[in-house]
Amino acid sequence: MTETRSRPARSRLAEQVRPERPFARFRWTVTLVLTALLVWSSATVDASWGRLTEAPGRAVGFAQTLVANASLEPLGVALEAMWESIAIAWIATLIGAVCSFPLVFLAAGNLTRGRVKQPVRQLLNVFRAVPEIVLAIALIPFLGLGPVTGAVAMGISSIGTLGKLSAEIVESIDRGPLEAVEASGGGRLTRLRWAVLPQAMPEIAAFWLYRFEINIRVSAVLGVIGIGGIGGFIAQAVERNVFERIGLGLVVVILATMLVDAISSRLRRRLIEGPSPAAQARRERASVAGAEHEEDPE
Amino acid sequence: MSAPTGERPRRPSPVASARPQRRPRKPPPQPFTLLGLVGLAAFTLVTAWDWVLGIGFNPIALPGELADSNPAMVEGLFNITDADWRADYAELLRTHFTDPDSPWLLSLDSRIGSGLVETVQIAVLATLVGAAASLPLAVLNSRLGAPNRTTHAVIKTLNNINRAIPDVIWAALFVVLVSVGALPGILALTMFTIGVVVKLTSDVVDGVDLGPVEAARAAGASHAAAMRTALVPQILPSFASFSLYAFELNLRGAAVLGFVGAGGIGQAMNYYWSQLDFEAVSVIIFVYLVLVVIVEQVSISVRRRLV
Repeated sequence: MTETRSRPARSRLAEQVRPERPFARFRWTVTLVLTALLVWSSATVDASWGRLTEAPGRAVGFAQTLVANASLEPLGVALEAMWESIAIAWIATLIGAVCSFPLVFLAAGNLTRGRVKQPVRQLLNVFRAVPEIVLAIALIPFLGLGPVTGAVAMGISSIGTLGKLSAEIVESIDRGPLEAVEASGGGRLTRLRWAVLPQAMPEIAAFWLYRFEINIRVSAVLGVIGIGGIGGFIAQAVERNVFERIGLGLVVVILATMLVDAISSRLRRRLIEGPSPAAQARRERASVAGAEHEEDPE
Repeated sequence: MSAPTGERPRRPSPVASARPQRRPRKPPPQPFTLLGLVGLAAFTLVTAWDWVLGIGFNPIALPGELADSNPAMVEGLFNITDADWRADYAELLRTHFTDPDSPWLLSLDSRIGSGLVETVQIAVLATLVGAAASLPLAVLNSRLGAPNRTTHAVIKTLNNINRAIPDVIWAALFVVLVSVGALPGILALTMFTIGVVVKLTSDVVDGVDLGPVEAARAAGASHAAAMRTALVPQILPSFASFSLYAFELNLRGAAVLGFVGAGGIGQAMNYYWSQLDFEAVSVIIFVYLVLVVIVEQVSISVRRRLV
């Protein structure tokens, strides 16, 4: 019996293999920078952290007033405001979709040369970089303060994201159909219509819907600067400390947003995955039956 | 041979000979497509028309409305287009953004300077706190990481509710709870960060390589240990990238918070706007845009390295 064999298996293993941990310079730099940022921000920000301890007490008071004064009387106004937010978001999405659509094909690397692609991409980046609130404020001198201002501001900023991501979708299409159309003598527009659109359109449309979901949130945000909608409703209630209106507005925002998200995500799934197998089978049966009926000479 | 070169020889091609076989019929459009198009057109009409349910958006009249502007506001907001805008703008920056005694140093004590710094602080703190809370939540928000189904369902529902509340509404709520200042802004953007990062990261968890997790379990690791040693290292790069992305979003979002009293540059914007000092608003927008663009460029280049 030698010394080594009598040792427990565990320590023998440990002795054998554990490779030394490499010194991770990247990790240390990141940790240091983050700690420094955290310390600097929390030490210098004028945040009155002590108020955090008061928050639970205030929340209880808030809830009590809310329950005591709960009434459905402002519900009509809140629903109207929510609908306005949805309308603003929809118009903004349409503006973004319509304006970005022609740019998409100019920004897709597989359809255009870099000479065209780069400037268009830069243009889309500019639209994307400017925050919606800045666009909205810049539009106020021209359109005043109202839902249309919000819709146009959000529309412009949607052009950037929709254009960029749709261009990426177009870039990922299968080259086969493109080459087929080219081989049979199709021109630029023919190629777009018969090779690009059928492949890319479902995903692009799904992406428009996704942007609509985002825009609903943004329109609620812009509401606080006065373009209308549910954001304005809640901001006013906060300003005047009408707790029951705040509560009602919140419930309306949450339910409406989740409802629109649910509908929109179902539509998106349908767009991308196509009809469910059951529905597909039903359709095929129907069309086969129809065809038989049509070709039946008797 | 004798045929003129310009004319195409009329020889039956294989394609043409296949012709009489009958071209397949184009299937009728799907009911989903038809219904969808009609529904969307109706929805558009309802929302765009100038009536109770619409916002009165008229694309034909829009150019006219754009041309019919408020000259005082345009002059104030867009004086950058003046012939001598360079001098003007430098002067504006100096009066609004610097200390009068030392004209070459940006003064962070001015209303705009301090607002800008506060915006950055709010965004930094909210991102750090929110991201730190998001990593465990993202693991619990996935089928793989949740210890049981109930945890998964509860966290998923809570985060969906969280994501349905826009950041400014969170800010307004926190203003009610902790009163005005930077604190409600930090809390609001923390909630927003959690919403974004948890959603995106848990999607990554679902597509992770199961091998290491199985190996950890086979070696007798507890659930928590298996997650920490086998799952987290796999999702860490994406998580870091999403957190940086959330930082960009927070910096943009932090500008609006001031309008509901939650601190940052928006407060200065709101103040000068109510004073009808459009030149100051224009300075704020300019400086803020520069900040946003710089941070975005840095963040994008770091994110490219990460993933």
